[in-house]
Amino acid sequence: MQISPAVIIIVVSVALLIWIIASFNGLVALRNRVRNAWAEIDVQLKRRHDLIPNLVETVRGYMQHERSVFENVTQARAQAIAAGGDVLQRSAAESMLTATLGRLFATVENYPQLRAVENVQILQEQLTSTENRIAFARQFYNDEVMKYNTRQSTFPRNVFAGLLGFSPAAMFTALDEDRANVQVKV
Amino acid sequence: MGKPEVWAKHICSAHDLKCRVNAVLSFYASPSLGDFTPSVLSVSESAQLSVAGQRYLPRDRESFLDAQQRNRRATWRISVLCVVAAVVMGIPLALIITPLLYAVVLISADVINYFSPLPQEFWQIAAEFARFGKVGLTWILQPKTAADPQALAIGLAVMLLPGIVLSIALWLSIDVLFRRSGVGGALLALNAREPNQNQLKELQLVDVVQEMAIAAGITSPRVMLIDSAGANAAAIGSSATDARIVVSRRLLDDLSRDELEGILAHLIGSIGNGDLRIAFRITAVFETCGLLVAIVNSPFGPRSRGVLWRIIRYGFVSGGAKEAAAVADLLARNVGLDTDDIDQFFDSGKRSRIRSIRNFIFFPIFFTNMAMKLCLWFFSTAVLGPSVALLWRTRQYLADASAVQLTRNPDGLASALQKLNEEPGDIPGGDWASHLFVVSPKRSDHQISAVPDKGHQQLLAKAWATASGQDSMQPAAMDFRTAQVQLASTFRAAMAGDAQAVARLRAAYQAVAASDPGLAAQIPNPDDFFGARQGDAAAIARLRSVRGVARDTSARQKVEAESSMSSVSMLGFHPSVKRRLKRLARMGAHVDFAAQKSRAWIVVLVLSIILSPLFLLLIALFLFLIAIMTMASVAFLVIWLTVIHNVFMLVGHH
Repeated sequence: MQISPAVIIIVVSVALLIWIIASFNGLVALRNRVRNAWAEIDVQLKRRHDLIPNLVETVRGYMQHERSVFENVTQARAQAIAAGGDVLQRSAAESMLTATLGRLFATVENYPQLRAVENVQILQEQLTSTENRIAFARQFYNDEVMKYNTRQSTFPRNVFAGLLGFSPAAMFTALDEDRANVQVKV
Repeated sequence: MGKPEVWAKHICSAHDLKCRVNAVLSFYASPSLGDFTPSVLSVSESAQLSVAGQRYLPRDRESFLDAQQRNRRATWRISVLCVVAAVVMGIPLALIITPLLYAVVLISADVINYFSPLPQEFWQIAAEFARFGKVGLTWILQPKTAADPQALAIGLAVMLLPGIVLSIALWLSIDVLFRRSGVGGALLALNAREPNQNQLKELQLVDVVQEMAIAAGITSPRVMLIDSAGANAAAIGSSATDARIVVSRRLLDDLSRDELEGILAHLIGSIGNGDLRIAFRITAVFETCGLLVAIVNSPFGPRSRGVLWRIIRYGFVSGGAKEAAAVADLLARNVGLDTDDIDQFFDSGKRSRIRSIRNFIFFPIFFTNMAMKLCLWFFSTAVLGPSVALLWRTRQYLADASAVQLTRNPDGLASALQKLNEEPGDIPGGDWASHLFVVSPKRSDHQISAVPDKGHQQLLAKAWATASGQDSMQPAAMDFRTAQVQLASTFRAAMAGDAQAVARLRAAYQAVAASDPGLAAQIPNPDDFFGARQGDAAAIARLRSVRGVARDTSARQKVEAESSMSSVSMLGFHPSVKRRLKRLARMGAHVDFAAQKSRAWIVVLVLSIILSPLFLLLIALFLFLIAIMTMASVAFLVIWLTVIHNVFMLVGHH
């Protein structure tokens, strides 16, 4: 049986086309996962904002002398919410909130009778969990970014990924001074 | 929503860094999440494993990504194995199905022929098919005479294909059938309940599950609690969408937050890897095996007919999740050499002439039946079970590696596994799903897991209520389960040196001894525990004897509870904890192996050198037996085919 070159060319080009379509769709799916992972971080930050008033209400009665700590937390939360869409302001505010919450927990440590109250423990657990969720959401985001970028930049795909409008996503990176702090700790 | 990189630069505070972001970037260094946890919450039980200073130092190790890839490669073998299993199970089935099919086709063709004559070609083809039987017979009876290979191949295909097609169809339909009903019945069997979110530990559980789901990027599965004496956890369901996580309350009590995180990351990682679908498919293979045994037995006894009738009714009417679980359990239980029905059929007390004639007619069928069941049993326990078990172990390693990916803290899972290894892990009602648990639930040789009977349960609960001072209000309110849970926590407190807990335990023991001395002999005296800790030899001896009594009782109950997944395979579905720890250590966990060194492996080696020839001999004998049985059945089959062929020749000459 004789196979004409034209048939071979058609078969090969159809296969190539199918492969390109498949990888394009795969890349789109990965990009959407990356976006979704990004949105998840926002969801978790919002959750933290919602929890804080409860915590403050519960603990305030036990800690009359520590008014400044509460004020800081409430203020930081208000700032984080007010920051709205602006990325620079908001991320600074969220960092501030994290720091004030850390201080609040440190203060709670000084009140043994408070530590025994189950309500406080539950609230603390919820906040701990929220902090973890934010961290895990970031981790997942970075994992997805890694997959997405690897897929884009490995050999046959890197030829046309840029042409089709895909660009590498950015990972979370740390501020330089923060990284320095951690190095000291380790 | 802004640009990620700008966000990323500014949102990371010092604290977050301390937590994990740095770890995410480097992918290897893994700061613990527990850093943020205030000391109120950290139970600091995990400290024993790791020396704080060197916790995050890199070692010579394998990245969890590599480990995942390595184990994932083994997965497709499971699917291949399942298909092969379905095909192989079809072979013995063909012994019955093929002649039946052939006879039905011929008879119906004959009937049709009576009304409107069929073309001559049809009869020629039919005759040709029957001739293949003859070819097979001559080949079997006189192996020296070289049979025409093409005719032989077609003959084999004609004989085996109907059985193979039927068994694959059965497998797929069972898969679909039980997938439809979901996991509700399984949860009922386990006696699972919703966690109470007003309670710290249970809230923590729900939180950790959701955190891990976020880390894995899947929708958070629902979590249920079991109040059992064993410490274990499982992910059950038929796919990632209807997955549930089941955790025993004792596991919750005994593990710290980091360890709990490791265990749940293992489960959620396994859901994310699609293990539930694979597990479901495997279970369906074993259930198909059970169904085949039921079909083969159905001419002989009411029990198998009952099983068949139930699954047919379930298939059409769908009696809900509970019925599904019951039917699935029934099928899984059916795998094995169950000869009850047949014994009853042949050995019933009455000996009449009709009965002996009937027995004579049925004897060839009985022979085929035995051959089939022997094949199925041998195949499922000696071939399919172990190979599935070994492949399933790679899924467990994969889930461990995924757990490390999700938590970036191999120490949490490692120390949790070590802890669970030292505790009883069996969950009542969980036998059917033993392969889905984190650690093997069957480790009852060094534990007291006997469940007392109803009367004793009440007595124990009452004694406990009296001792804990709740008796004055409402003695009936205390049921055995809650008493058991409270007892366990009090006991832990007592061992930790809580004087009040010690007093309560003593009071409870005295209450039991006062009302029923016999029962008191079966439960350990708390004083002995404290004596044993101080090194009192007599106390240790007393504890040993109590444990012996309890073990006898539990062994008796174990025989009754024997069922399904754990019994279909000679090998366990779980890799040994030690091996899992070794792999975790390669991924960076700090596990101390020095203490676990033992001479046991020499004994095992010597035993295996002595036993393995015997074992091989046994297998060879068994294969020989199966071969003879199959030969005999094939001979019967060929005789049937020849008879049908001749009948057809007679009919055809009309």
